Amino acid sequence: MSMTEQALMKLRCGLLACTVALAPAATALAQDAAAGARSSAAAPSSAPSQQRGAGPGIGYERTVPVITSGPWTGKRLPDGQPDISGDWSNTIANHNNTTDPQGGIPGDPHERPPRTTREQRAPSRVTDPADGQLPYLPWARAKQIEFAKGFFDASKPEYLEPLARCAPAGIPKSFYWHGYEIRQYPGYIVFLFNSGARIIHLNNPKHLSPDIKLWQGDSRGHWEGNTLVVDVGNLNSKARFGRTAEFTTENVHVVERFIFDGSNQRYNYVATFTDPAAFSRPFTITVPARRWTVADKTNEWHYEVPLANNPGKPPIGDHLERICVENNGGFGRLPAAPATVPTAAPDPAARPTAAR
Amino acid sequence: MFASPLLAADAVLPTPAKIPRTADGKPDFSGIWQTTGGADFDLTPHQGRKDSPPGLGIVEGGEIPYTPAALDKKKKNFAARETDDPRLKCWTLGTPRGIYYPEPFQIFQRKQDVTLYFEFGYSVRTIHTDGTLHPVDTDQEFWLGDSRGHWEGDTLVVDVRDFNDLTWLSRAGDFHDEALHIVEHWKLLDANTIDYKATLEDPNVYSRPWNIEVILYRHREPNFQLIENYCYTLDYDKYYPFPQE
Repeated sequence: MSMTEQALMKLRCGLLACTVALAPAATALAQDAAAGARSSAAAPSSAPSQQRGAGPGIGYERTVPVITSGPWTGKRLPDGQPDISGDWSNTIANHNNTTDPQGGIPGDPHERPPRTTREQRAPSRVTDPADGQLPYLPWARAKQIEFAKGFFDASKPEYLEPLARCAPAGIPKSFYWHGYEIRQYPGYIVFLFNSGARIIHLNNPKHLSPDIKLWQGDSRGHWEGNTLVVDVGNLNSKARFGRTAEFTTENVHVVERFIFDGSNQRYNYVATFTDPAAFSRPFTITVPARRWTVADKTNEWHYEVPLANNPGKPPIGDHLERICVENNGGFGRLPAAPATVPTAAPDPAARPTAAR
Repeated sequence: MFASPLLAADAVLPTPAKIPRTADGKPDFSGIWQTTGGADFDLTPHQGRKDSPPGLGIVEGGEIPYTPAALDKKKKNFAARETDDPRLKCWTLGTPRGIYYPEPFQIFQRKQDVTLYFEFGYSVRTIHTDGTLHPVDTDQEFWLGDSRGHWEGDTLVVDVRDFNDLTWLSRAGDFHDEALHIVEHWKLLDANTIDYKATLEDPNVYSRPWNIEVILYRHREPNFQLIENYCYTLDYDKYYPFPQE
């Protein structure tokens, strides 16, 4: 564990109800993750493009830190916003499984089920209701089960994860799909995800007309101390939560709270979804996140920012273009009319620039 | 005729327009911008067509200096423009087409970068103004190119390299390949107007460098904002969250 993480844990355990547990030594993966999570002080490089890789892969932290909303005591930008700009990613697993993030994809014919018990793994991303399950209405649960099965058998177009077609990851999947960058400006916060981007309008609460439905929705935010509160309307709800294929309808309304720890190294994404068309009550998704800097090794998921070409000067991360066109649309890639699994040869013109 | 002090030569120079500036004194391009001209239809002068209004063109000297082989390809592109224009697939417009495309883009500016956020395709182009150089790996074939900018007085000068060959420059089939290199000059003429100039060169396509210039206007309508436009999802978005009966 890095010095920063050790210090953080001491602080948290001293002052708050401590829910942090040590990663299990049982699995090799956890050990690799723990080893990789040590910050490495990177000396300024004379070969700026050298691979700094071999950092940790998918995050195997098992717990969500307790971060309470309250005043912000850290660095501020000239316009008064807490300075949260930089590179971030979630710390628990990926988009495989929303209610058992480290449990693998149910029904995956390619992987053995995990050897850990449920208690040994990270909790459900669903933190409310307390049972960690999405409170589906029966029709919606049936659909989610159908889509989750269909993930391995794309015999209908709706079984294809839209992300695989370069659609943006949407809400909440953007927050556990690869690492992302936050940029701040007077009146705006911009999130640059691996797949898609969002503009948050600050202190400008009027939403677009409800006739407009968007993959990322229309986001209206404001700061409350250490917490960025974002009201998201106008969602088209076409993105899915992950490979377990949870979804909402376009009636959904989301309120996101990004609660930043005083160290400015961690935050919790706590988002409440209200969608009475598909769910019997609102539910909350929680995704813990950590900051990454040039002191960290790149890996292929959380932190993919190479060093910039900056000879003789301190290291700077180079934020490069993130545009996905692989598998783009019905233009020769997949049939415009429903249903067969595509068998066409790969299009040589399709050149992904985003990491998959 | 007699001389009057009111007609002295230096009395007719306009005073420089006041422009917004960042805290460190640089011109501030922040805002939402769009050209009013029809450059995207065709960069060169042309009369009206069924699919294009007439235009004076934005190319200095009026002609793009294609090599003979490249001119052949441009003519083929033009003939097939109704099907082959990559904008129809909503592929990223590329550089510089995104700048004069008839859809707004937003400029976000910090000391270390100027970010162009295009409504079309919701693509994001970062112009790095932190003194960094182009990456050592020069073969990354970006859709928008790799952009490194610096200030020369009040002009932002941007060097753009390392492109793929999948974008057009206009609906008329003007094109480039991976060797495209662009030098842009961005300058605020006043608080609501940007003068954008660019020099394009590509030894595989053009016989010499050539220049374009467009004027960009600030969107000043109350509450104007970009509206996400992931138009490349339109062919398949009807299947999600699930097909409606």
